[in-house]
Amino acid sequence: MTRQAFMARLREGLRGLPPQSVADIVDDYEAHFTDGEAAGRTEAEVAAALGDPDRLAREIRAESTMTRWREERSPSSAAAAVFAVLGLGAIDILVLLPILMGIAGAIIGLAVAVIVCFFAGAVVFAAGPFTDPPGGPVTAILSGIGIMAGSASGGALLTIVSIGLMNALVWYGRLHYRLLKPALEPQA
Amino acid sequence: MPEAIEIQLKKGALELCVLALLSKHDSYAYEIASRLADAIGMGEGTIYPLMRRLQSDGLVETYLVESSAGPPRKYYRLSEAGKKNFTSQQAAWKSFSGAVDSILGGAQ
Repeated sequence: MTRQAFMARLREGLRGLPPQSVADIVDDYEAHFTDGEAAGRTEAEVAAALGDPDRLAREIRAESTMTRWREERSPSSAAAAVFAVLGLGAIDILVLLPILMGIAGAIIGLAVAVIVCFFAGAVVFAAGPFTDPPGGPVTAILSGIGIMAGSASGGALLTIVSIGLMNALVWYGRLHYRLLKPALEPQA
Repeated sequence: MPEAIEIQLKKGALELCVLALLSKHDSYAYEIASRLADAIGMGEGTIYPLMRRLQSDGLVETYLVESSAGPPRKYYRLSEAGKKNFTSQQAAWKSFSGAVDSILGGAQ
């Protein structure tokens, strides 16, 4: 592969990352070619030693989305990390996608249930005392508070479980780096 | 599985080797990559993500040096934190490898 072809495929593969990091990465590999040629190697030799540029770009992108997920726990960073892991080809998409969709559906369903329960608790808390409930108005107020507190803790648990599942997926994805593996796993 | 052991060993040693090279003198990525590729058979492209990680961990710093041919070259040097980190990793490695050596020697 020529230097130009390698750099073009790397650049193409890195599209979507912040322009500054793309520029840094591209500069590094350009310098590598320049130095390699100065040392008397051909472009093809340098390119072969660096590995497949598409794979390299996919792994760099995956790593950057996973870093974003570590820094910012948001649904969009989670989705980006999921797609990056899928893009690594680590797991057959036909196998993983139904499972992921099932899990995501269950999480969304539980989240809706938690929110509904919370508002139901609020209704019991606010309106209960005026409807002449069994056990008197105080019971209605207390059970309303109880339902709200219960659903809030359910929501918190659900969040922790979702974050744990995402981290497990990220961990699994990182096991499948071929080119970047030795470089990125922090030493214990 | 000797292959798996070799990969694990290289993975553990790579960062230490980079810090060791930089502790002798400042260097640029191509030089580090070619020395490590020859010595421990590391893939050349691996060096760039590793250097970026070391940089974001604050262990190395970069500066640019004008070169006679081509664009200025990016040099890496150890930061103060990097020097400390190297000293402690070096001591840990030496005591560990010494212990392994003496066990291996005794097993002959």
